[in-house]
Amino acid sequence: MRLFLEQCTNGLAVGSIYALIALGYTMVYGVLKLINFAHGDLFTFGAYLGMTLLASMLASERVEVGLGLVLLVVMVMGLVAVLGVVLERVAYRPVRSAPRLNAVVSALGASIFLQNALMLAYGGSPQRYEEVLPQTALSVFGLQIPVVRIAVVVAAVAMMAVLYFFVQRTRVGAAIRATAIDPDAARLMGIDVNRIVMLVFVVGPALGGAAGLLVGLLYGSISFTMGWSYGMKAFTAAILGGIGNIPGAMLGGLLLGLVEALGAAYLSMAWRDAIAYGVLILILIVRPSGLLGERVADKV
Amino acid sequence: MKNLVGVLSLALGLAAGPARAADPIKIGMIAPLTGAWASEGQEMKRNGELLAAELNAKGGLLGKNVELVVEDDGGDPRTASLAAQRLTSRGVVAVIGTYGSAVTEATQTIFDEEGILQIANGSTAVRLTEKGLPYFFRTCPRDDEQGRVAAAVIQKSGAKRVALVHDSSAYSKGLADEINGILKSKGVTPVFFEALTPKEQDYSAILSKLRAVSPEIVFFTGYYPEAGLLLKQKRQMGWNVPFVGGDAINNPDLVKLAGKEAAQGFRFLSPPVPKDLDTPEARAYVAAYQKKYGEEPKSIYGVLAGDGFRVIARAIEATKSTDAKKLRDYLVGGLKDFPGYTGRIAFNAKGDRVGELYRVYMVDAAGRFVLQP
Repeated sequence: MRLFLEQCTNGLAVGSIYALIALGYTMVYGVLKLINFAHGDLFTFGAYLGMTLLASMLASERVEVGLGLVLLVVMVMGLVAVLGVVLERVAYRPVRSAPRLNAVVSALGASIFLQNALMLAYGGSPQRYEEVLPQTALSVFGLQIPVVRIAVVVAAVAMMAVLYFFVQRTRVGAAIRATAIDPDAARLMGIDVNRIVMLVFVVGPALGGAAGLLVGLLYGSISFTMGWSYGMKAFTAAILGGIGNIPGAMLGGLLLGLVEALGAAYLSMAWRDAIAYGVLILILIVRPSGLLGERVADKV
Repeated sequence: MKNLVGVLSLALGLAAGPARAADPIKIGMIAPLTGAWASEGQEMKRNGELLAAELNAKGGLLGKNVELVVEDDGGDPRTASLAAQRLTSRGVVAVIGTYGSAVTEATQTIFDEEGILQIANGSTAVRLTEKGLPYFFRTCPRDDEQGRVAAAVIQKSGAKRVALVHDSSAYSKGLADEINGILKSKGVTPVFFEALTPKEQDYSAILSKLRAVSPEIVFFTGYYPEAGLLLKQKRQMGWNVPFVGGDAINNPDLVKLAGKEAAQGFRFLSPPVPKDLDTPEARAYVAAYQKKYGEEPKSIYGVLAGDGFRVIARAIEATKSTDAKKLRDYLVGGLKDFPGYTGRIAFNAKGDRVGELYRVYMVDAAGRFVLQP
């Protein structure tokens, strides 16, 4: 029982990171019907920028830890958001009216560019985060749960809650949802679609960048290829929850994390990825549009 | 016409100067310059370049300059095969490398088919020298010796519940199997024997699973990136079980990845680390390295690569040739008690280094590796 509960908490921590990254994929897809293959590398950028900012914050010794961490999250989110907007302008807007394949190729090219830019800037070996969070465990209901995991889950859930509120309860959120349903109709309703697209490329990458920072704080080491593996898992999570669906991405991420953790514990460590993707295949067979995805009627 | 060409070439050759002939002797090195083991690869390269420069300053080999040709294997067997092909096409007479056993295995047949001597510096998997490849040697020890020392350490600790964790790679699984076999023959059956997936970040699953079987000691036979993460996450979970590791965990980055508090008390097996090399020549070499690069060599595998270079140079000098067969015969039959920086070196017919090299090290509170008696 103890193993089960422990693994659930481990799975939730990893899952909430997948969820944050998955939100970026799903929002961009919802509005542009494009899979942003470079999103995983935006996540990696967040991790690396976070490392550099954290190191300089610690070196300057003028900021105390709690406030510093909040500032760090805000700065990383801001910087990666800017990068996201630039990415959209440079790689996606020019090909928006072209066939879908052009955008896909452009996305892949952007991904390779970003990954190698990081490698050139920081070098080929894994980099390390300073330990700022307490590296101890908290005793909760008899379980020893690492403090860092609790922190990550709390931070991620807070961000997701804010996003959910923003998308469901504000006018701008409604505009985003409208654009996702039908960009032309949204335009007719007076929504500036270009600005909505820009907004999506601010929010999505910001969350991805924050996820990168959390990964660095959680595991202490980052590498320039992690965008590929996390991105693939998060993309899977987005599809699992229904691509284009924001609560779906959150649910998909958490679920994938849980399934991976429990599968690794009870079936086999080495088969962890196989189990995660196997579950995806199963769910897609039963519900092709994902868990929360809507069945869109085909126009005949 | 032939005479004229002959005279012209002779004239050119003479005109090239009395010191060195135009084309250098190329010695290759294949190393993980990028990727998870980049710190090992970079040190291998540094050791090689320092030794090549020293050799050239003393007149080179057989009157020619020595050129070190380095290729990156990325710590991955696929990249390594390509790197090995590139090296063979660049006319190297011998190759030093590489670090990971699975990576070396991918390059062995390529070099053997081309008749190029290969001296690995970090690959300890037993089967690499059990294939009858005549041109393959290693300056590092072998995992059957390591298995014996590991089993002895485990038994000395008095633990009855032993857990073995590996990462399914050629080296890691091989070592874990060796230890498993020896322990079983002494009546101790491990309570846990499983693999983790390397190059991942989250090992909470295997740590939780391990904790559930309450081992008294855990022996991890994988590499230092994973070991660092394991130690760090173990501490985050508030678990204090002693961990012991194999020689692939011997790298200063271990303490960086795990954090000093998590790494403290961790023990591992290894050939002596550079700061414990105690012959006068070794100490002079370490000082020369420090002078050139601003810091002491941190990894013994880099120095083992250096010894590989020196052994090749000695063989070329002694046989006055760069023919792989002659070099090989010299290394097996003619090289006795070569004073390597890592200790006396001699090779047996399989290409293995002769001698007992493994020691036990512990990480102290300051993150230093301390030799255990």
